[in-house]
Amino acid sequence: MSQRKRAVSASQNKTQRRSQATLNEDEEEASFSQVTSSQVQRARENFTSDQIDRKVAEVVQFILIKDQKKIPIRRADIGKHVIKDYKLLYTDIMNRVCRTFEQVFGLKLVETDPKNHIYILINKLDPIQGEPVSMRPVTQKKGLLFVILSVIFMKGGVIKENLVWNTLKKLRVDPGEKHDEFGDVKKVVTDEFVRQKYLEYVKIPHTEPVEYEFRWGLRAEKEVSKLKMLEFVGELFEQDPQSWTQQFREASTQSTVDTSSQRTSS
Amino acid sequence: MSDSRRRSRGSQEEPAGPSNGVGGRNRSERASDMGDEDDIVGGPSGISEEDDDPTRRREIRSKYRDLINQVQQNREDMLNPANNKLTDVLEEANKLFVNVRQAREAALDAQLLVLATDLGKEKASQLHAEGSAFDPSAFAEHLLSFMGLNRLEDESGQDGNLEGYLPQGAWQKLANRTESCFKTAPSFHYMLGSFLAEPPPPRQRVERQRKLPSKEAKRIMPIQLKKMEESHQEATEKEVERILGCLQSYFADDSGEPISYYEFVIDPNSFSRTVENIFHTSFLIRDGLVRMFLDNDELPCIGKVKSISHYCVCIWLNVLADDIIICVL
Repeated sequence: MSQRKRAVSASQNKTQRRSQATLNEDEEEASFSQVTSSQVQRARENFTSDQIDRKVAEVVQFILIKDQKKIPIRRADIGKHVIKDYKLLYTDIMNRVCRTFEQVFGLKLVETDPKNHIYILINKLDPIQGEPVSMRPVTQKKGLLFVILSVIFMKGGVIKENLVWNTLKKLRVDPGEKHDEFGDVKKVVTDEFVRQKYLEYVKIPHTEPVEYEFRWGLRAEKEVSKLKMLEFVGELFEQDPQSWTQQFREASTQSTVDTSSQRTSS
Repeated sequence: MSDSRRRSRGSQEEPAGPSNGVGGRNRSERASDMGDEDDIVGGPSGISEEDDDPTRRREIRSKYRDLINQVQQNREDMLNPANNKLTDVLEEANKLFVNVRQAREAALDAQLLVLATDLGKEKASQLHAEGSAFDPSAFAEHLLSFMGLNRLEDESGQDGNLEGYLPQGAWQKLANRTESCFKTAPSFHYMLGSFLAEPPPPRQRVERQRKLPSKEAKRIMPIQLKKMEESHQEATEKEVERILGCLQSYFADDSGEPISYYEFVIDPNSFSRTVENIFHTSFLIRDGLVRMFLDNDELPCIGKVKSISHYCVCIWLNVLADDIIICVL
């Protein structure tokens, strides 16, 4: 009898702990949002401007390092590891962080998910052909990613996964075998690129056996210039990019949207 | 479906050639012609022997499976608007369907139909795109050329065989060219590494620890041996001197009566002690400090040396099962 009671209480403890963990996260989220202006004012007076400057610098450094893997950064992480006691000043600090990124580094901190508050860092400046962007050479995976993104774009935005695998097979990249340079190709494409928000790997409903389709991810939407992609495809096919009228239209609208948003933000 | 099957079974009674009139029509026409088939006399409802031939059925099934595989594997080829491969497949399937009599083969036929219509839908959607269509296979070919594919010119390539190989920096070349399409934020890394260099030390420690035990082990061996030798010599000399001291004190006390040898050396409790005593006493006798002789009862005794130069005594002990051989020079 007592053993059963102990087992029951143990499982209760586990669920309690789990709910406690989610409660903590919820509390953190709540602490971010339920801040009144008077609380913020008091908080501003509590800390000196030097301390706030230092906090801003710490957040900038945290985001820069988190961005190494290109995995989106969560607001909860920033709060837990860096801001801690300064939570009430979160909006102030983040405003200054964004401004620092834009003016000092030339980078943009973009919120990809307004509901869950997830950020990515992208380059504000347009890259110039032939000039390297960073000191480190660009990885070969970028080439692989470009192929997949361009196929999706030219095919209208959504494609079945088989199209991707077949195209890659023609390029001597077989998802079933280990590739010399990419390793486990399937994992890189469906796991790494998806986590970095370059691709979306979505199940098609009502299919048996289950099939997936690929779309552009949020990061790709922000980072990739469709016009430049279309230019390169045109070079390869030795065709005028405008001959793909639908894609050309889509690419032009993307660039106008970006420039207009830039004008409003600066 | 079952109606047309029964009717085609009925028409099987006639010679094979003309009966193809019913089965050889296009699928799209079959449904509209259902009314015409009412005129043909329906055959017996039972399954005739010809229909049940397992080898023929197996043949039909394997041909259907071949067709299905062909459609699945060469999907991209079929979609290519430049060829009519899909229509060819459909015509093959039509020919096969003539001989289909039972549900198993018909199910395969239905499966093939599903695949073919899927492809048909995709091909139709290709037509919708205004401007030129995008062909991923051609795109792949252009990419390969860009990346510098070395095509082997000796063998002629068949369908589905990938000829040639990509040179080493192929993907890097593509990545460099397409880098400008991405507005990626450069990732932040410390230029020269950090001052806290933690990884290296643990490796050194492990190596040193491994080396030390073996060295110490070797060193220990010689030391122990040396000590053993030293202790041996010292012990012997000390013992000999001790026994000499005992004898001298005894002779000083007593008037010089000789001691029975056996009484002197034997330790009733320890045989090894006895042997040691005999050993040490022999040194004294060798050096001429005491003398050993047989008394009246012919038992060995130890007595004081009368003069030093007279006797030179050498005792050679050979203890073998209680035999003591004494050599006196």
